[in-house]
Amino acid sequence: MEEDEAGIHARGVTRSFGPVQALRGLDLTVPYGQVTALVGANGAGKTTLLLILATLLAPDAGEIRVAGYDLRTHPREARAELGWMPDTFGVYDQLTVAEYLQFFADAYGLNPREGGDRVLELLTRVHLVEMWHQPVHVLSRGQKQRLGLARALVHRPKVLLLDEPASGLDPRSRVELRDLVRSLAAEGAAVLISSHILSELEEIADRFVLVDQGATAGEYETSVLRAEARGLWRAHALEEEPLVEALNSREAPYRRQRTGGLDIGPLTEPEAAALLGELVAEGVRIFSYAPVGGALESVYLAMTEDRT
Amino acid sequence: MTVRGMLLVARLEFRTRLRTGRWRTLFGVWFLVVALFSLLLRGFVDTEDSDDDGVMMFGTLLFFVLLLMLLITPALTAQSINGDRERGTLAPLQLTRLTPLEIASGKLLAAWSTGLAVLALALPFIAWPILEGDVSPVRGIVCVAVTALLIGVVCAVSQALSALVVRGVTSGLLSYLTVFGLMFGTVIAFFLVFSFFTTTEHYKGADGYYRSEEPDTSYTWWILAPNPFVVLADAAPSVPREPVCPFYSDAPEPECYYDSDDGPDVLGWVGQSVRETRVGVRRPGESYEHYERRKETAPAVWPYGLGFNLLLAAGSLTITTRRLRVPVERLPKGVRVA
Repeated sequence: MEEDEAGIHARGVTRSFGPVQALRGLDLTVPYGQVTALVGANGAGKTTLLLILATLLAPDAGEIRVAGYDLRTHPREARAELGWMPDTFGVYDQLTVAEYLQFFADAYGLNPREGGDRVLELLTRVHLVEMWHQPVHVLSRGQKQRLGLARALVHRPKVLLLDEPASGLDPRSRVELRDLVRSLAAEGAAVLISSHILSELEEIADRFVLVDQGATAGEYETSVLRAEARGLWRAHALEEEPLVEALNSREAPYRRQRTGGLDIGPLTEPEAAALLGELVAEGVRIFSYAPVGGALESVYLAMTEDRT
Repeated sequence: MTVRGMLLVARLEFRTRLRTGRWRTLFGVWFLVVALFSLLLRGFVDTEDSDDDGVMMFGTLLFFVLLLMLLITPALTAQSINGDRERGTLAPLQLTRLTPLEIASGKLLAAWSTGLAVLALALPFIAWPILEGDVSPVRGIVCVAVTALLIGVVCAVSQALSALVVRGVTSGLLSYLTVFGLMFGTVIAFFLVFSFFTTTEHYKGADGYYRSEEPDTSYTWWILAPNPFVVLADAAPSVPREPVCPFYSDAPEPECYYDSDDGPDVLGWVGQSVRETRVGVRRPGESYEHYERRKETAPAVWPYGLGFNLLLAAGSLTITTRRLRVPVERLPKGVRVA
């Protein structure tokens, strides 16, 4: 086991279900201390990959190491180092919040004293302390999701797998979840998170792995992505004619929006900044200039476009 | 595999199932049904000897309790595995340090204990004829122990079915089919095939010997062995019986035989009938008395039946354990890992 090894290291992972090839040679690296986002369309193989990484499903081929342990030879050791939060998970409705966590502390072999402390610590962390004696079924969806995350953290895993953790959450719960996940990465955990909500992933993830039809379509650093991705920029000017003329003279592509404003681009961030400077210098009275959607969304849409 | 892990899973099962409180109603209804049946038995059974009343009540009540227990028990584990899988509570459990055997045996232990609690509610009525002195305590203990084991067997089998089959409804149905197969299927199968296996029997008639092909159940008796009622009846220690001896008084002891009419002892009657199937037809030249005595002293069937059932349970637990192993290599159609 190398010192500098990543939390998850996967190469050439394949898996088929009968005639359906769910994963066809997927590569993935999830470094410690960072949040890596797994992005892809429905059926791209995200959940299959997470099940394989969680040691629930065996891959047909490929080399996978989780926390340095080869999943083929040491699944038990890997399991002890990984926390998994599935997209849909059941809770035992008849248990209270504290009993639920205490059970998993016991099941992971923590001794009773240590387990009790850990349960209290986690409940504080996910803001469920005041709910500790409530039966699980009275929790809201957001609270259940946080409880699920607490469960995944019971044994202090070094690698975290979160499958669609934000689905169905209200904005407040999402922000709380985001802060929680960021703080876990800051403490050194390797976090892999899959989601459909691209704009949100952009705020939470350091890196992106795009998955398309069971294979890795690209890996990006969020900062690089922001700088290099070409997106549309929506400009609103007090008078539209000077703006249109200025764009026409530069042969810059744009599209007029019915709701008002012009969508200019696709442009990278530096290009957009340069254009804005020129337009303002020419006396175009722009009062709003902002990217349409996120950088990630642009990349994602560009990638999935050639599929159709 | 540790006892701690097994008990942890069992406790979880208890807590999640028992807190619904539905069991109180079920237990109450069960107690009333057994009480009512016992009182009716007590009222209606009227044999020549008052001691025999207790013997008859004991046997009939035990058959009744076993029948109802076999009908209740599949429900205890019929959705043990696939139900948890459907609710999404199984996979997180599989990822903990708990081993597949701990999960399987813990769940089985919880279900079996529940079954035993139900059985315990019937104990006051089973104890009634024993306390009256009509039935020996040993007979009572053996019968209750065998019933308890059979409940465990059905728990294990339906748990394995719940691990094999995706849908809870299907595994429940299959569990009941298995129980019915053991209860009635064995008897039906026996009566369907026993006449195909024959042995030539020699008779001495008025005009010399003649032969006839007789069904020989010594080839087919084992079909009846797994039947739970057969196991229970045959395992029950027999009620002491008076030997019937030939009227010439100086005959040696082995010439005596027992009256084949078992009277009020339902268990003894079933047990003896099944044992006699092991003997089959009369050997050439065998005296009628010797043949009868051979039937009376036929070896027991229950060790085979109980052994078969216990093997079935052990095999079922193995299947369940295997089915709980992760990572899963091959996914059956329609199964979601999580």
